[in-house]
Amino acid sequence: MFQNYFKIAFRNLWKNRTFTFVNVIGIAFSIAAFLFILEYIGFERNVNGFHTNLPNLYRLMYQGEEKKPFGWTRSPLPPTMQENFKEVKGYCRIAPSDNVLGVVSYTGENTAEPPRSFLEEKLIFADPDFFKLFSFKILEGNPSLTQPNLVAISQTQAKKYFDTKKALGEVLTLNNQFGKALYTVSAVFEDVRQDSDLQFDMVFSLQTFANPANLNGNDWARLDTWGSTFLQGYVLLEENTDIPALEQRTTAMIKKVFPEYEDEILLQPMQFMHLGRSLDDTSETFGNLGFVYLIGSIGLLILMIAWLNYINLSTASSLKRAKEVGIRKVVGANRWQLIGQFLGESLLLNVFGFFLALVLIQLLQVPFNQLVGKNLSINTFLGDGTWFFGGIPVAVGMVASGGYVAYILSTLSTSQTLKGTFSRSFKGVFLRKSLVIFQFTISLVLIVATLVLYRQLQFMQNKNLGMNIEQKLVITGPQVLEQSTYNAKNAAYLYEVSQLPFVKNYSSAGVVPGKWYNFSTAGITSLNPKLEDDKKQYNMAIIDHRYFDLYDIKLAAGNNFTAQICEDGWGKSKRVILNETAAKTLGFASATEAVGQKISWGEEYEVVGVVEDYHHQSLQQSIEPILFLPRLYSNNITLELPADQIQTSMRQLERLYKQVFPGNPFNYFFVDEVFNEQYKAEQQYGFIFFVASGLAILISCLGLFGLATFSVEQKTKEIGIRKVLGASVANIVTLISKDFLLLVIIAFAIATPIAWWAANKWLQDFAYRADLSWWIFGIAGVLAGLIALLTVSFQAIRAAVANPVESLRNE
Amino acid sequence: MLLNLKNVYKWYTTGGNRNFVLKDINLTVEEGEFISIMGPSGSGKSTLLHILGMLDTFDEGEYSFLQENVHKLKEKQRTNLYKQYIGFVFQQYHLIDELTVYENIETPLIYKDIKASERKAMVADILDRFQIVGKKDLFPNQLSGGQQQLVGIARALIVRPKLILADEPTGNLNSKQGEQIMQLFKQLNSEGVTIIQVTHSEKNAEYASRIIHLLDGSIQKQVL
Repeated sequence: MFQNYFKIAFRNLWKNRTFTFVNVIGIAFSIAAFLFILEYIGFERNVNGFHTNLPNLYRLMYQGEEKKPFGWTRSPLPPTMQENFKEVKGYCRIAPSDNVLGVVSYTGENTAEPPRSFLEEKLIFADPDFFKLFSFKILEGNPSLTQPNLVAISQTQAKKYFDTKKALGEVLTLNNQFGKALYTVSAVFEDVRQDSDLQFDMVFSLQTFANPANLNGNDWARLDTWGSTFLQGYVLLEENTDIPALEQRTTAMIKKVFPEYEDEILLQPMQFMHLGRSLDDTSETFGNLGFVYLIGSIGLLILMIAWLNYINLSTASSLKRAKEVGIRKVVGANRWQLIGQFLGESLLLNVFGFFLALVLIQLLQVPFNQLVGKNLSINTFLGDGTWFFGGIPVAVGMVASGGYVAYILSTLSTSQTLKGTFSRSFKGVFLRKSLVIFQFTISLVLIVATLVLYRQLQFMQNKNLGMNIEQKLVITGPQVLEQSTYNAKNAAYLYEVSQLPFVKNYSSAGVVPGKWYNFSTAGITSLNPKLEDDKKQYNMAIIDHRYFDLYDIKLAAGNNFTAQICEDGWGKSKRVILNETAAKTLGFASATEAVGQKISWGEEYEVVGVVEDYHHQSLQQSIEPILFLPRLYSNNITLELPADQIQTSMRQLERLYKQVFPGNPFNYFFVDEVFNEQYKAEQQYGFIFFVASGLAILISCLGLFGLATFSVEQKTKEIGIRKVLGASVANIVTLISKDFLLLVIIAFAIATPIAWWAANKWLQDFAYRADLSWWIFGIAGVLAGLIALLTVSFQAIRAAVANPVESLRNE
Repeated sequence: MLLNLKNVYKWYTTGGNRNFVLKDINLTVEEGEFISIMGPSGSGKSTLLHILGMLDTFDEGEYSFLQENVHKLKEKQRTNLYKQYIGFVFQQYHLIDELTVYENIETPLIYKDIKASERKAMVADILDRFQIVGKKDLFPNQLSGGQQQLVGIARALIVRPKLILADEPTGNLNSKQGEQIMQLFKQLNSEGVTIIQVTHSEKNAEYASRIIHLLDGSIQKQVL
């Protein structure tokens, strides 16, 4: 029986090739899109999944009165927990890269050769049990970091520093804020997988910090200081530990020793650290559950559009199938046998579509991976339950769309179909129209979303920032340097650089627009503060006297720092500059009024000038109060270069750098690139919506094309008669197209408020936003209308120019 | 007695008025009869045939088929009943365009869940009997009208029905082809199959043992 079903299904699909083509293409594209999304979701779900201890690993967090959880721990807490609570089987504290980035160098036996130095940004310090708690693969050596001054490095790093030489036992020098220290390579590990939230190239033994002599005066990094929270803490617990109870006992334990602390300790299961229930996202690798839901839903919506095509086209063509259904019933088919047959047909379509989707994935996997910046493949979601969660909606959709069509076709009245009195059923027409409206509503919402996204992106990238970041090159200052020669060497380099003909302007500053500030603090007030004034946060930017000139930041009142003030630094000169927001926050009525006034930050400081507000950070954030502190030499050597000579100037700058700062790597970046990187997420969103709306409109129009084909077939006689009576081609095209266009207009009316609401909600996240003007909706509507019209008129024109004699003879 | 209709009415309601398609039909058919139904267009011939074939329902009256009260059966039971005992032949042949001659004839057997080997034997047998073995792999549109009707009859006969209902079986055929079909019916009838046909042609009606004349939904006269 099945053989028979498939045979007839094949022949039917072949006979109605337009129908088959429309359906298979639609299903293939939507399934391919859905599988890509599933790959992404599968990856996100499995991040951190490789740790053997995962079910029992917890991240220590704390929250204070304001109930905002932080992913940090007081340094002595994890060992204290292990001492006091028997269910704590192990712990590991990690000092993440942001605090300890530095220059690592290796001097080989041949001391005549310059040392190999690199600025390393993915360094961590960790407790001895790091490799015991987490399942990172050790290739050689002893992974235990019990002793101070040990380091485990990745395979790639081993190659980078030692080539083919054996890395174990070699000594690396680390220069960072903790001074200069030697570390012996004790282990080499496999490069960290991309599905890990912990990302690092080197692991130094945290035990090094146990000796205060190694801290270079950075007392905040002492491991026995309860007041310091620069470490992340992880604990390994017994199975079936009562987590809320342990949280309470830990909180109570701290409260007992330090009654003044407001800490409430939280234990976040590491399983949920990446996606969902994540309390504080400290790492950029962290996922976004909302985003996963969003793209999952978009994928399903596109699939739905493809299935609706199948329903629409099948029911529209039911007239054609009616005779077959009637005959089959007469010769003895019962309902279920017919349903089985039609279900088989839809299954076959879906299977074709599925295989075509696999081909599409093969072709598009590489560009897709580049887009999301992850190494994904079909295997990404086959390994775990994700395929199941993705498979259920797909299976339900296939059966539902096929089943509905089978139901409709199998209920056709036998006697009517055979007598030939069966005519168009009007309830089917209504349903079909509703489905087309639904498809176009989805498409329109996606198109509007895409336009809004790109407009906001363009708005942010083009808005006047209040400064000029074009052609600004930043060279990272030296890390490997005796403190005593720091100023002299920086002065020497800056002097040499300023003499170069292509350097138009330069500055040495602690901050770079688009990156954060030097630090941020409360406790700054005017001399007669109001209540709570001391709780306001101010951002601190350390700059020299050339900074404002270099970035074209205008003074609103007062004066710039002088070279002398900068040389003295803020500690000695006791002078600061404010931005307008800071002046306002401090309670000054105007910029002019602030100039010459004193403010209090422990001691008194004089405001020498106020600069106009500029966007130090992306336009997602509103302008925050900034205090500029004077210092002559800082870590970002910023130059303005003419665009046409970048290559040659780079080589000269590097040569100079190597001369003045031997042993330091030459690292640089452009300010505008860094600044625009802040919009990476929006760019990704924009692209995803662009593709999704393109697919939605494409598949919807495929369906429309099929419907138009049927409509023209049904109206062949009417068209013939009208032409004989003198209708023009334009008349006929209007006749066919206007019904379809009406559907798009209705869809537009439904989509507009939905899209308006969603766009508004999304734009709330931006401090500075492009307004939602009506023309965005206008463009979307006109675009969808035009595409629909184009699709329909193709068939309509074909029918209109046909010879009417032909069509009438058919009757 | 094969079947019996008692006071059967069928009507459509339009604008509050009943338009009768069939009025007070009383008809008894014995096994082995060959009946022709005649009458002008719109007299209710096809409707009567469809009611006899259980493809259509009626509004009033009783219908018993082999002692079963058809009007009291559920749809599923009714379907089983006609599947087992009745074969249909149509003026437009109603073959499935996408299936070959062989497959068209085989289809009813598939729906009866008959095993493949058995199906093969039965189809081969009937192809042989109708002398269309050479055409078995052709599609309907590759056959002449008469040949298509032969296939239609073969398909109706394959399930060995007690009753064949034929709706103007020769209506689309030329006189020679028509006569062939009538001869075939006569032969089948002599083998014990009951046949009821609707026809416009006086000549073809004569093949039957009884002729029923319908006019405006009522039986006007019966000629033996």
